[in-house]
Amino acid sequence: MRALLALLILVLLPVAGAHAQREPSGVKGLFLLTDYPSQTVRAGEVMTIRVMVNNAGLLPQPLALALNGVPAGWKIDLLGGGQPVAAVMAGVNQEVAVQLRVEVPKNAPPGSQTVVLTARSQMGQQASLPLTLTVGTETPARLSLKSRLPSLRGTPRTAFEYTLTVGNDSGKDLTVGLAAQGPANFQSTFTEGYGSNEISAIPIEAGQTKDIKLKVTPPRDVRAGDYPVLVKVAAEGATAEMHVVLQVSGQGRLALSTRDGRLSGEGESGTTSTYTLVLANDGTAPVDEVELTGTVPANWKIEFNPKSIASIAPGDKKEVQALVTPADKAIAGDYMASFRAAARGEQASADFRITVTTSTLWGIVGIGIIAVALLVLLGAVARFGRR
Amino acid sequence: MGSRASLALRRQGSPFTGIGPVLVKELADHLSSVRMLVLTLFVIAFGAFPVASSLQTLRTVVDPNSFLFLRIFTLEPEQVGISFVAALNFIIPLMAIGLGFDSVNSEFNRRTLSRVLSQPIYRDALLMGKFLAGLATFAVVLVALWLMVFGAGLLLLGVPPRGVEVARGVGFLVVAIAYGGIWLAISMLFSVLLRSPATSALCALGLWLFFLLLWPQLASAIVSGAAAGEIRSVEDYAALQDLAMGLMRLSPGTLFSEAVLALLSPETRTLGPMLPAQMRGAILGAPLPFDQSLLLIWPQITGLIAGMIVVFAAAYVVFQRQEVRA
Repeated sequence: MRALLALLILVLLPVAGAHAQREPSGVKGLFLLTDYPSQTVRAGEVMTIRVMVNNAGLLPQPLALALNGVPAGWKIDLLGGGQPVAAVMAGVNQEVAVQLRVEVPKNAPPGSQTVVLTARSQMGQQASLPLTLTVGTETPARLSLKSRLPSLRGTPRTAFEYTLTVGNDSGKDLTVGLAAQGPANFQSTFTEGYGSNEISAIPIEAGQTKDIKLKVTPPRDVRAGDYPVLVKVAAEGATAEMHVVLQVSGQGRLALSTRDGRLSGEGESGTTSTYTLVLANDGTAPVDEVELTGTVPANWKIEFNPKSIASIAPGDKKEVQALVTPADKAIAGDYMASFRAAARGEQASADFRITVTTSTLWGIVGIGIIAVALLVLLGAVARFGRR
Repeated sequence: MGSRASLALRRQGSPFTGIGPVLVKELADHLSSVRMLVLTLFVIAFGAFPVASSLQTLRTVVDPNSFLFLRIFTLEPEQVGISFVAALNFIIPLMAIGLGFDSVNSEFNRRTLSRVLSQPIYRDALLMGKFLAGLATFAVVLVALWLMVFGAGLLLLGVPPRGVEVARGVGFLVVAIAYGGIWLAISMLFSVLLRSPATSALCALGLWLFFLLLWPQLASAIVSGAAAGEIRSVEDYAALQDLAMGLMRLSPGTLFSEAVLALLSPETRTLGPMLPAQMRGAILGAPLPFDQSLLLIWPQITGLIAGMIVVFAAAYVVFQRQEVRA
C-alpha cells in the first residue's frame, strides 16, 4: 500500500508540477529513486529492490549503470524487464524501472552494508543512489484475521457466509493456509472474494490484506443453538485464529404421507371413503397451526378429521383422516386428488390416486331384467304349452 | 283358446321332454351340412385377414398398450381398414341368420313337422332344441375362431396373455355369442312366421340391413327433430346425446360394439358423453378394473341376453299357436 502511494506521488508529482508551473520547469536532472533506501535483508535469501531511473528535463541518452561496494560473497544483478541489463535510457520526463536482485549469502554476518548504484551518461551527467542493506535477524511472519460479521443467524437450511479479512503484516509475501474447525458434520468451504473456486490457501503480498469468504453449511437435522467455528490461518509458523458463530434457529419440516407410504386408494361414487394420512415433522423445531386442505375433482367432497393440528413436535407424527366422497355421477376410473398441509412457513403436499368404482346396483337390476325375460318365456311355455 | 285349454288338452309331464334328441340331431345336421362349411369358411376368411394384418402390425410396431393381446382384436390395420371385432360385427348376424332362417319352415315344406311331432316330443322341445342347437353350433365356431386368434397371438407375439386379458377375452366371447343368439332368435321368428324360406331369409337380412344402414340416419333425424333449436346448456346437449344413444341402442349391433369396446379397450370409462366437470381430475388412459368394465357394459349385456330371450319367447308363442298339420 505504501509503495503504491509512493509510486502514485512519483507519477503524479511531475504531471501536477508540469501543469501548475509549466515554464519554470522546476527540478532538472537525473535521479535514481527507490522507496526504501535502507532495508533489512536476511541471510540466505533473495530479495528484489525496485529502483526508478528518472530523467527530469534532460535529453534522452543511454545511461550506464554500475554498482559499487558489493560485499564479498554477495551477488547483485541488475534486471530490467526480467533480463540482466547494463544500461538504461529514459525519455524526457520519463522513468525506467530497474530491479536489483540481491542474493545474500547464508553466512553473511549481521551488520550494515552500503551498495552504491550509479547511472552515468556519456555527456557526464550522473546520479548515484546509496542503498543500505542491513543483514538482520529474521522478522517473524505475522498474520491478522478479522471478520466484519462474526455472528450470523439462520435456519438449518441456510448457508452461513462470513467475509474474513486476512492480513499479512510481515515484510515478505506469504502463502496462507486456511482451515476451519466446526462441530461434527458441519461443512465449511473457503472461496476467494467473489470467486466461486474453493480454496485452501491464498498468497498474500507483504503488508497486504485479502478478503476471503467462509461458507458453513450445518447438517439439516441440527438442533437449534449456537455453534462456534474456529477459523485458523497459518503461514510459516505464524497463525491467527478467530471464532465465528452460527446461531441456528430451529425449523420445522412437514412431510405428508400415509401409514404404509402408499399414495393410492379406492373409493365408490357417492360414498365416503376414509384414508389415513400421516403428518410427520422431521425438522428441528415444532410446527404450529397445521391446516389441512385438499383438491379433489369437481363435485367431490373432502373433509379432514381433525381439520387442523395445533402443534407437531420435532420427530413426531400425527395421523389425520381424510374423508373423500366422490361425486354421485363420478365415472369409474382413476382420479387424482391432492392433500396439502400448511403451517406457518412450512407446507407439504401429496398427490393421491383414487380408483373410483361404481355401485353394483345396476348389475343386480340387469340380472333382474334377464330373470323377468326368462319368466316371460316360462309363462309362455306354461300358457301355450300343448301337445 | 280359453275353451280349448281344458284339462284334457293339458300337457302331462315336462315340456322339455325330447329336447335332448332334437338338440343332438339338429347339431349333427348343422355340423355336417354344406351350409355350415360355407359359413365357417366365410368366418375364417373374414376373421383371418384382419387378425393376420394386426398381428403383423403388432410385431413391427411397438405398442405402448399394456393389454397387448386385446390389441389383436381391436387394432385397425392400415392395409385392411377394419378391425377383427368390426369384422365380427358383420359376420355374426349373417352367420346367425344363415343358421336360423329356415329352421321351422323348411320342416313345414318338407312335411316332416307332423312326423317329428308324432314322436313323444313336444313342440316346446322342438323349437327350443332347434334354437339351442343353432346357438351351440354358433358357439363352437366362435370358440374355435377365438382359440385360433389366441393361438396365433401366442405363436407370433411370443408373449403369454395375462389373466385379466384372458378374462376380458372370455367376456368378449360371451357377448359375441349373445349377439349371435339375438339374431338367431330373430331369424327363427321369421322362419316361424313365414312359410317360404326365401322370404324369411330376406326379411331377416332386411332387418339386419335396416339396423346397420338405415337406423343411424333415422335415429339422428329423430334426435334433430326432437332438438328443435332448444340447446341452451351443456345439460340440454347431454340430454340430447342421451336420447341419441338410447335410440341407437335399440340396434343389437350398437349394444355389441359398445360392450366389445369396454371389454377390449380397458381404458374406456364411459360410453356416453362425458361432461367436462366429470373429466376434471381424471387420470386419462388408466385402465379400469375388469369388474368395473363389466359394470359399465352390464346394461348392454343384459339387453342382448334379455332381447334374445324375449324374441325367442315371441317365436315360441307364435309357433305354439300355429296349425302344424299342413
